[in-house]
Amino acid sequence: MTGSGMSGVLTAGSQTWELTRRSVVGERRQLLSVMPGLIFPLLLAAVYTKQFSRVLDMPGFPEVDSFLDFILPACIVQAVSFGATAAGSELALDIENGFLDRLLASPVARWPILLGRLAGAAVVASVKTIVILALFLLFGARVAGGPAAMLVLVVVAALLVLVIGGLAQVMAFRTGSQEAVGATFPLIFVSIFMSSAFFPTNLMTGWFKVVAENNPLSWIINPVRRLVINGWSSADAIQALGLPAALAAVTISAAVMALNRRLATP
Amino acid sequence: MTVVIEASGLVRHFGDIVAVDGVDLSIDEGEVFGFLGPNGAGKSTVVRMLTTLLHPTSGSARVGGCDIRTQAGDIRRMIGVALQDAAIDPLMTGSELIRLQAVLHGIPRSVIRRRGPELLERVGLTAAVDRRVGTYSGGMRRRLDLALSLVHEPQILFLDEPTTGLDPTSRQALWAEVRRLNTDLGTTVFLTTQYLEEADQLAGRVAIIDEGRLVREGTPTELKATVGAPTLRVEVDQEHVATTRDVMTGFGEERPSREGRVAIGLSEGAAQVAAVVRALDTAGVTVIHLELDAPSLDDVFAHATGRRLEGSGDEQ
Ligand SMILES: Nc1ncnc2c1ncn2[C@@H]1O[C@H](COP(=O)(O)OP(=O)(O)OP(=O)(O)O)[C@@H](O)[C@H]1O
Ligand SMILES: [Mg+2]
Repeated sequence: MTGSGMSGVLTAGSQTWELTRRSVVGERRQLLSVMPGLIFPLLLAAVYTKQFSRVLDMPGFPEVDSFLDFILPACIVQAVSFGATAAGSELALDIENGFLDRLLASPVARWPILLGRLAGAAVVASVKTIVILALFLLFGARVAGGPAAMLVLVVVAALLVLVIGGLAQVMAFRTGSQEAVGATFPLIFVSIFMSSAFFPTNLMTGWFKVVAENNPLSWIINPVRRLVINGWSSADAIQALGLPAALAAVTISAAVMALNRRLATP
Repeated sequence: MTVVIEASGLVRHFGDIVAVDGVDLSIDEGEVFGFLGPNGAGKSTVVRMLTTLLHPTSGSARVGGCDIRTQAGDIRRMIGVALQDAAIDPLMTGSELIRLQAVLHGIPRSVIRRRGPELLERVGLTAAVDRRVGTYSGGMRRRLDLALSLVHEPQILFLDEPTTGLDPTSRQALWAEVRRLNTDLGTTVFLTTQYLEEADQLAGRVAIIDEGRLVREGTPTELKATVGAPTLRVEVDQEHVATTRDVMTGFGEERPSREGRVAIGLSEGAAQVAAVVRALDTAGVTVIHLELDAPSLDDVFAHATGRRLEGSGDEQ
């Protein structure tokens, strides 16, 4: 890329913006496919809250008014994971129908192409998170950390999309097939269950506890949960945001590398 | 004349498949170059390498003076590309795609507001601009694809089988547009096709590729000439057959023909027809029917590869 310095960055910026718009418009035009990702986690949260209100009294369980507060982060992570793999499968679709070639044959840098898809998914995830938050608050959940903690929740959701979406994009470039990308979804689904999302790790035992404690998702969910339950803490906010930001940098770089590899050798 | 597309020894493997096996090209500015070959010959693979979408396994190429490996960004700014499978996002509308393409090329909004409708008008899509592309017919997609490849007014245009799947009317319209781009704007066009007629109609120069190698190259006329002289067939009354044969063999070697007809190969080409007819007239022969069979590019292809092109001669 030539395009001298500042103007180059500006161009790349508007390219990313336009590609983001495209993916958001695309999502909006197939709203039906977004809905399960919103409804399923909400249903699960409703059922759990009804069934598990007694576990609140278990010794070692965090002090909360309602199971809702406890499960809020899990519900958001789950809702987000639905949309995140979409960034990969939509990209795979672009590869299958050749649209990616059109993008690649135009003078656009690599990262706006990837980021545009991811940012679209991130926007969708943020909207979903806001909807979930609103519903939870409506049904009596309380976010102790206040509006700042809520903002962190939304941003964490967006960052998680970048992490998972970046991974899905790597898969998309490696396989070029939508089905293969779709197959990664259960993996993420399972890893949510094998984390502290639905149960505090200190109450777990055996190998499950080991897995959950070493699951990066737990490291993100735990500080988020403390922000919801205990109140604002800058340290928790930094951990909640920093980890997914760092992971996103890794997975997106991997996606750029996978794209470059795809051009070089089949 | 400046050479705008040149390739030397282009090779591309896919695992064990040798898709392109040493292709050399040299195309001048302002040419319409036809790249002709059957399914799987390697046409698209060559196009993908020249348009920087695929690295060659070996060999090199320059497009618009820039190297396809090291100056890909500069090439992408210059070229327009319409790939074989009209590559468009079905969820977007025609005008949205035009705008996206314009932004990708860094064209100011004010310019595209004027140019977008103009382009869509020219490819006959004005009525469909606000419809989602998913609802377009195959022909409409191809035409949108062409419009998209022209958004930034490229100097060099790559069209990979642009008329495959189009009905005859749409095909004619696309040919007209390609001719207009070439004559009015001086756009260099690299066009792949399986249709001999298309290459014949549009291309000033043709290369035939088969199994990854160029087997013939030249103007359509030159190529046809390599196959041999055109055949002139004349039908006359039975009593005149002998005289006719005497007259006509003076112009070229006799060729096999049906009863009541005489056929010769015109050794100096179609220009001789008038002389033959005049000679027959002088000899008092009344010609009932006369036909001239110019060798087609199909004959050239058959001559070069020993096979006939699939579907050649049929119009669909
Ligand atoms: N990505 C790929 N992976 C593996 N093989 C490939 C790939 N792309 C092309 N090929 C193979 O390379 C050869 C040439 O293919 P190519 O698409 O260039 O032919 P073509 O002349 O464009 O054919 P068509 O007229 O059908 O479009 C074929 O044997 C094809 O199977
Ligand atoms: Mg092809």
